[in-house]
Amino acid sequence: MLKMLVKIIVAGLLTLLLAAVFLARNISDNLATLSVNNGDWTTSTSIGSEEAGVLLKAAVAIGGLLASTPENSMYYRLDSIDGEPLRLNCRYRIKGKDYDADWWSITAYGWDNYLIPNTQKRYAFNNDDIKRDEDGRWEIVVDRNQQTGNWLPVGPAGAAVWRKLVDYDFDLLLRLYTPGTAYLQMPQSAELPRVTQEACE
Amino acid sequence: MKILKWVVGIVVCAWLGQDLLATLLPRAAMELIYARGGNQMGYNSLVVAPVSDEHARTVVRPSPDLLYASCIYNLEDGPLQIEAPIPERYWSMQLYQMNTDNFAGITNRRDERYRVGTVLHVTLIGPDQTPAQYEGTVIQSPTARGIILFRASAIGDQAQQQAALDATRCTPG
Repeated sequence: MLKMLVKIIVAGLLTLLLAAVFLARNISDNLATLSVNNGDWTTSTSIGSEEAGVLLKAAVAIGGLLASTPENSMYYRLDSIDGEPLRLNCRYRIKGKDYDADWWSITAYGWDNYLIPNTQKRYAFNNDDIKRDEDGRWEIVVDRNQQTGNWLPVGPAGAAVWRKLVDYDFDLLLRLYTPGTAYLQMPQSAELPRVTQEACE
Repeated sequence: MKILKWVVGIVVCAWLGQDLLATLLPRAAMELIYARGGNQMGYNSLVVAPVSDEHARTVVRPSPDLLYASCIYNLEDGPLQIEAPIPERYWSMQLYQMNTDNFAGITNRRDERYRVGTVLHVTLIGPDQTPAQYEGTVIQSPTARGIILFRASAIGDQAQQQAALDATRCTPG
């Protein structure tokens, strides 16, 4: 009797674990249909709203809990370039300018969805603290090694590696607060920063 | 053969169970925050968080460019009074029910009534209460429990923004 009970408990736990893996794959495979793509950036116009479907709400519960609706802030996320996941052994360059929003910021998050530990305590750049060219344009270098200019350091996430279920090491999140109508009405084509991979070790 | 039956059973149940898991996940995540946050900070009271860094691991994707304050609420014993001075730069109050829906929100960028120098007064009532019984701005929560999240821009000089959050109140009454 006890043996059977143990078997049922173990089977239940394995079922739950496997269901979580299936769900993670389902979310990953269907992210394109849940999201709007704008180049390598993805966003969703129904985050936080009642219209968000079951899968999107599950995705938000995992990676974006307490997100606002787009009228308040829009979130564009990037975890790969041309299908290649962002890696810690590569250097990336983000080029941009100011955008039609009250203010904006670009933050790097580890694969665990939290800020990346780094000695610089630099987790993001925003329209106020970024260094710009004379014409107002700016560039950010994303690299684990020290860089000059607007350096956004990345490194291992704070969570244990065995918990990693995704193929990217980190991702970038562009927040546009009180975005203009172009972002609300045409999120797939509104102007965004351009991210390129420069080199890999 | 017996093991194969178990394996097939687990795979089939897991495949069918992923939809149920997807449905339960948002509520479970909110319940976790509700319980953990409530135990640490209490219910129906405002807590102002320090600026986010790598140690901020209560809620995913904290923004280092925002100041946060939260009020984890339970309206079973009556409404909540929310009072919030509005700062000059970006500020918002967003309300979330227990399935993660952001069911209401006010921002000093979209709402003409709430500009710097004004003070927001809101009565937050539960699903079983009647809005007409209350004066002023009333927000009705679809669920008796939920979370209010205040966000204020942390870029540049934070003093005024921080003072506004520090003076915010979320009290039963």
